[in-house]
Amino acid sequence: MDPSLRIYGNPQPGETPNPGGAATGHRVLIDEELVESVAWLIRLRWIAGIGVILATWFVSKAFRVQVPTQPLLVIGIGILLYNIVFFLIERRYKKTIAPIESYRKLAFVQVGFDWLAMILLIHYSGGIESPAIFFLIFHIIIASIFFPQVTAFGFTILAIVLLALTASLEYFSILPHYAIGGYLDFPLYRNSLYVTGILVFFSCAALITAFLVTSIQKRMRQHEEEIVALTENLQIATSRLQALNDGAQAISSSLELQQVLDRLVKNTSEVMGVRACSIRLLTKTGERLEPVAVFGLSQNYIKKGPIELENNPLAREVLAGRIVNIPDITNTSLLQYPDWALHEGINAMLSAPLTGKNGPMGILRAYSDEQNWFTPDDEIFLAAIAAQGSIAIENALAYQAVEALDATKTNFIRTITHELRSPVSVTRSLLRTITAGYSGEVNEQQKDLIDRAIRRIDFLQKLIDDLLDLAAGKADLKSHEATEPVSLEEILQRVVDRFAAPAKEKGQALDWELQTDQPCMVMASPEGLDRIFNNLISNAVKYTPREGKVTVTLSRSDDDDARIVVEDTGIGIPEEAMEHLFEEFYRAPNAKEFEREGTGLGLTIVKDLVTRFGGRITVHSTPGAGTRFTVSLPLVSEKT
Amino acid sequence: MNTKRILLVDDDPDIRLTVRLPLEAAGYQVFEAANFADGQTAVRKVKPDLIVLDVMMDTTTAGFQFALDLHNAGPDSEFKEFKETPIIMLTAIHTTTTMRFGPDSDYLPVQEFLEKPVEPDVLLSKVRKLLGE
Repeated sequence: MDPSLRIYGNPQPGETPNPGGAATGHRVLIDEELVESVAWLIRLRWIAGIGVILATWFVSKAFRVQVPTQPLLVIGIGILLYNIVFFLIERRYKKTIAPIESYRKLAFVQVGFDWLAMILLIHYSGGIESPAIFFLIFHIIIASIFFPQVTAFGFTILAIVLLALTASLEYFSILPHYAIGGYLDFPLYRNSLYVTGILVFFSCAALITAFLVTSIQKRMRQHEEEIVALTENLQIATSRLQALNDGAQAISSSLELQQVLDRLVKNTSEVMGVRACSIRLLTKTGERLEPVAVFGLSQNYIKKGPIELENNPLAREVLAGRIVNIPDITNTSLLQYPDWALHEGINAMLSAPLTGKNGPMGILRAYSDEQNWFTPDDEIFLAAIAAQGSIAIENALAYQAVEALDATKTNFIRTITHELRSPVSVTRSLLRTITAGYSGEVNEQQKDLIDRAIRRIDFLQKLIDDLLDLAAGKADLKSHEATEPVSLEEILQRVVDRFAAPAKEKGQALDWELQTDQPCMVMASPEGLDRIFNNLISNAVKYTPREGKVTVTLSRSDDDDARIVVEDTGIGIPEEAMEHLFEEFYRAPNAKEFEREGTGLGLTIVKDLVTRFGGRITVHSTPGAGTRFTVSLPLVSEKT
Repeated sequence: MNTKRILLVDDDPDIRLTVRLPLEAAGYQVFEAANFADGQTAVRKVKPDLIVLDVMMDTTTAGFQFALDLHNAGPDSEFKEFKETPIIMLTAIHTTTTMRFGPDSDYLPVQEFLEKPVEPDVLLSKVRKLLGE
């Protein structure tokens, strides 16, 4: 078990928020210490066991001291053997993540065994005369580290009693005394003064040690508790900051109103560790609040009834811009439906206003099962979330409005398209039926008049088409963004073919040069691309005198753009016309002279579309000599 | 005298007139219907050799639906005998991106498109081509 996961981790969704968070953290930390100590004690005991064996051998061989080697070796081996058992148990505990109670028992049993081994060791190394008596102090220190003060003192007194018992039994020869020959040649175990002295001084030393160690331990635990509490506070602060940050991200990542609202209530209730959270927004008339997003409340409760400002003092208070903390539902006059809340198991509420640029929008509310749950810190936090949420909601609402407007516009354009085009188109068809002679004989003058009308109608048709194109492009951004990889070569081929006949009629050479052997795919709509080159080539043909030349080339530039050049030997564009060239309805003076009819929208549409497809258009012209338009469009990278 | 029967389905009487006059002058028998439902009834009654169909009638896609019903008719359909009847679809010139289409047998079972405004000579040549004349 890694306690750090629980202390530092965010509260998991679905995990019951813990009211006594700090206490849990503390307990977990102390528990972890016990788990560690058990392992540490086992490691230490290997040394103790081997130490006993080595010391016995060393003392008897090197110093020729006469010790009961056999029992001492048995004790050493015994320590190692029971340590193996403890080691195995501890390993299994670790694997199965045993409860802390098992560890506590294991520690208890271990200390018991150590006590027994120690007393046996003392007994076989001279009883009250044994220098190993000092080692009992280590055991007392260990017990004092492991256990609470009372238990530690219990073990200390046990040690004193066991030592006194051994000394007495040996004194009265009930137990044999093992004298250590060569160490103490004058037996002292029957010297009552010595025995009493050792026992009294040992008892004092043992009790003082236990007292000192447990006191220090207690103080250390206090410090630990403080650190844990501080860590938890930091943790709460961090997760709240995180929640605010998440909220900010929600704002930028989603403009879908419902998504923003749902995220807001879920995040708030998780981070505040409360049972539920809701958002209610004011209706358009501003008389009522409607639930728009809820987390953790039953459908019944949500549908309990309308929250009318007139009957709901709490709502009025909050919408006036105040944060209202109701620590106890049973003791407030602010609520419209207190019984419903109690029935739902809600005992405390915290409400913060959602305020937009144009005044109050609604209420963000957190609900807790427990009375007096919300702290002043919570109030500040909920207010911060509400402020941020307000921005998100306003953005989403604005986006919704824009989308609706966009849809209306698109619809309007479509209607206009049909309504404007149809009559013009039908009129032309009708007139053509006359001039084609399907309605009887038409004399020359009548035919001439109708042909003039048809020419005017053709211009009107073109103007409508261009205008609608421009408007559709501006209003209906989405349909233009629905682009796909399109082959420039194919589109250019098609458009050039279209102008082969008109160019030939004017005696112009229309050249089409493909200057790359790689495919040139760009992200665009085929119609849009067609329109771009249709307009450019049509202009080139139109404004180039008879016997002139129009050249269209497709190549790749160094920086991975497709470059399309439409060059002519036409009338050119005067210097003063250059800056107005792409403006709506603008026509250069020499163009008007050369061709009476023209809408002045063609290049505006071209520029609009090129920009939309992420490209650039440049123009170079020498009046009287010709014009060169260069369109650069980003190529679709081969990897994708 | 040409006895081929042509059904004209369009909600605009002026359009019907501009299509009817050249066709009749060329000797075809022309029948008219002003909407989707009348058109379907007329198909069964007239048993036309060719249909001239407006793309937008009651709805923006009514013409497509009309053509689909005819050309994708199953063996049990009341229109199964018209599966091969050629259709010329009248479309507004220079359609916007939202109305993208082209003659594509999988997507749209229409043999020809004719852009409005109607050019009588173009209409006649398309009709003649489809009727194999």
